[in-house]
Amino acid sequence: MTLLSKTITAFGSLLLAHACYSAREHTALQSLRTATAATLTSSTTVATSLPVDIIIETIISTFIILLGLVLGTRPLRPLEWRVWAGKIEREGEEGFTDNAGAVDKDYMGNPFSVFESRPNFVDIRKQRKEFAAWVQNGGGQQGQ
Amino acid sequence: MPSEQELQIQISPIVQESLVHNSRTLYNLQSITASLFGVSAGILGLESYAGFVFYVALSLLTSVLFYVLRVAPTSLASGKSPLDTSRYFRGAYDFWAGGLMNGFAGFVLTWTLFYGLVTA
Repeated sequence: MTLLSKTITAFGSLLLAHACYSAREHTALQSLRTATAATLTSSTTVATSLPVDIIIETIISTFIILLGLVLGTRPLRPLEWRVWAGKIEREGEEGFTDNAGAVDKDYMGNPFSVFESRPNFVDIRKQRKEFAAWVQNGGGQQGQ
Repeated sequence: MPSEQELQIQISPIVQESLVHNSRTLYNLQSITASLFGVSAGILGLESYAGFVFYVALSLLTSVLFYVLRVAPTSLASGKSPLDTSRYFRGAYDFWAGGLMNGFAGFVLTWTLFYGLVTA
């Protein structure tokens, strides 16, 4: 997705730069022609509007860049809490990636994780036994 | 007695981070496209009202394109009516017409710059 939008934007920028250069050359040529015409015949009947092909190129390149930029925007996130939390439950990290596929930096994970791990219900005696067994088996020896 | 909107927020609360993220995404797009429109208007050599009409039309087109490509696929799938942006944005006016204010300075800047570059 991101490669597509960047390609479209780059192509449109190329067209726009070409149109800009063409318009610049056209006006330079026009001013030169009016200068020479004024010295020769003193007639000032010179069209000053841009040629149609430059106008068309400018407008089309603007639309192409616009399409590329809109395609390159980051995916939106649902506003309502229940919709947002449901999206996290269903899709997890995959629902919160940017265009390049990397997970967003401010992705926090499940908002209900506080309900799913309850410290009050930890079996502390069992953990103490496990720790004692670990010490007896020489688990703490590597510090010496 | 709370107002209708306060009640609505109490019943279905919103996520502030999502609001900030969506607003920033839209704002970035509007700023950068406004500069782009200024470049085009300058190359075309538009003057006075023609340039402003050009800007207003293309800014609205940006909103429509953003809706069609970014908002509509998931918004319509979740049962919202067409042109309803309430899944991602609060306030329809900010979504559709916010770009007119956000990018205006950038538009005038690049418009005058490229007009001067091309026609000088």
